[in-house]
Amino acid sequence: MALLDELKELHVDVEQALSSLGGNSPLYEKLIFKLSAMIRDYEVTDGFEDNDYQEIMEKAHALKGATGNLAVTPLYNGYSDIVRLLREERPKQAKEVIRTMLPVQEEIIRCIEKYR
Amino acid sequence: MNNKKTILIVDDIEINRMILAEIFGDSYHIVEADGGRKAIELINAREDISAVLLDLLMPDINGLEVLKDMNRSGAIKRIPVFLITAADSREMLMEGYNLGAIDVIMKPFMAHFLKCRISSVIELYEYRKELESVVHKQTKRLHQMMRSVIEVLATAVEFRDCESGEHVKRICGLTRTLMTEVSNMYPEYRLSEEEIDKIAASAALHDVGKISIPDSILNKPGRLTAEEFDIMKQHTVKGCELLSSIPDIMELGVYSYGYDICRHHHERWDGKGYPDGLSGDDISIWAQVVAVADVYDALTSPRVYKKAFSHDTAMTMIFGGECGVFNPKILKAMERVMNNQSKEN
Repeated sequence: MALLDELKELHVDVEQALSSLGGNSPLYEKLIFKLSAMIRDYEVTDGFEDNDYQEIMEKAHALKGATGNLAVTPLYNGYSDIVRLLREERPKQAKEVIRTMLPVQEEIIRCIEKYR
Repeated sequence: MNNKKTILIVDDIEINRMILAEIFGDSYHIVEADGGRKAIELINAREDISAVLLDLLMPDINGLEVLKDMNRSGAIKRIPVFLITAADSREMLMEGYNLGAIDVIMKPFMAHFLKCRISSVIELYEYRKELESVVHKQTKRLHQMMRSVIEVLATAVEFRDCESGEHVKRICGLTRTLMTEVSNMYPEYRLSEEEIDKIAASAALHDVGKISIPDSILNKPGRLTAEEFDIMKQHTVKGCELLSSIPDIMELGVYSYGYDICRHHHERWDGKGYPDGLSGDDISIWAQVVAVADVYDALTSPRVYKKAFSHDTAMTMIFGGECGVFNPKILKAMERVMNNQSKEN
């Protein structure tokens, strides 16, 4: 199975993302690989131990934008919730969203990395 | 030749920049900045940027700071800025709008709408630039035409007055030099270079009222009788009437001092001038300066009733009060101007 088909199975809205890119699937794949690396760089779990919620919010905000633009919907929804909850000063609930989202995120990254 | 317009994409996240570059790359030349500092550098260095797509939250300098810089430099007037946001706070968006941002682009991007919105704004800005350029050219032309009309008017008066047409030019030149010296020497009379330019141009209008004076008086070779002199004095008031009937001249900023100069260039410091008998600083400094310049030029130029006096004689007459009393500060400035000129020669 090809990368984009696998991503569709993981609820990534590939069609919507491709329509934004004028159907340029090679570019989309290139961006998806970049996203995978970005998620590794913007590890949001780090700040929770230090109660550095501002840093987590900034990272989550950046990931929200990138995942949204690439229509990685499950992660976009997760990061949107994290940003909202941290703005509402509800870090416990935000941490809970991260906990439930992480396995989904790992699965998506594993899928992407397979094709690198 | 590549006629593509340039869009600057400012976002610290490379993925977002790449997506926007893909959306706009076909129709526009793309320049990228990965932070606010780089964006400011590019905006200030390049003349060809037609639009800026600006992320609000960036680690070095955020989008609002970029907007503030564009306000300081004036770039915001010529470049439309679109804020890129993933639903940031309302306060930030409001501040962005207040700082001149034209619109907000929400993430995730909707390629088709984005293209339409940004392209139409860029076209509008280009159209506005073209219109401004046309208006600027037309206004310049109008001003030149108006200046020509005034020059013709002033020269026509001089020809009636049997002058060569050079008197007006000399008065304007001496007014500029003298006014600059007065402004430099005395803080209470300090004027900007731009205002001095207007005063010098307006000096050309000082005698336009002479157009209403009969030839028999204007060009009489001998002394005027008291009655004739009374008619001659009317040229100050008649000149103002003439200028009032051409409001376009007064609306033309460059001649904003014309009315005052026309009316008061025969007033004297001791109140013995005409037409209003003003004294001291009730007479505007520019009318006082034109008065001195006018007297000096009249003395050093030949007239139908007299030969030209030498510079030294003219200065002695002016300083001796033979042509009426002038503001001592202007006379000091006059002395300095003449000394400087003789040194240069």
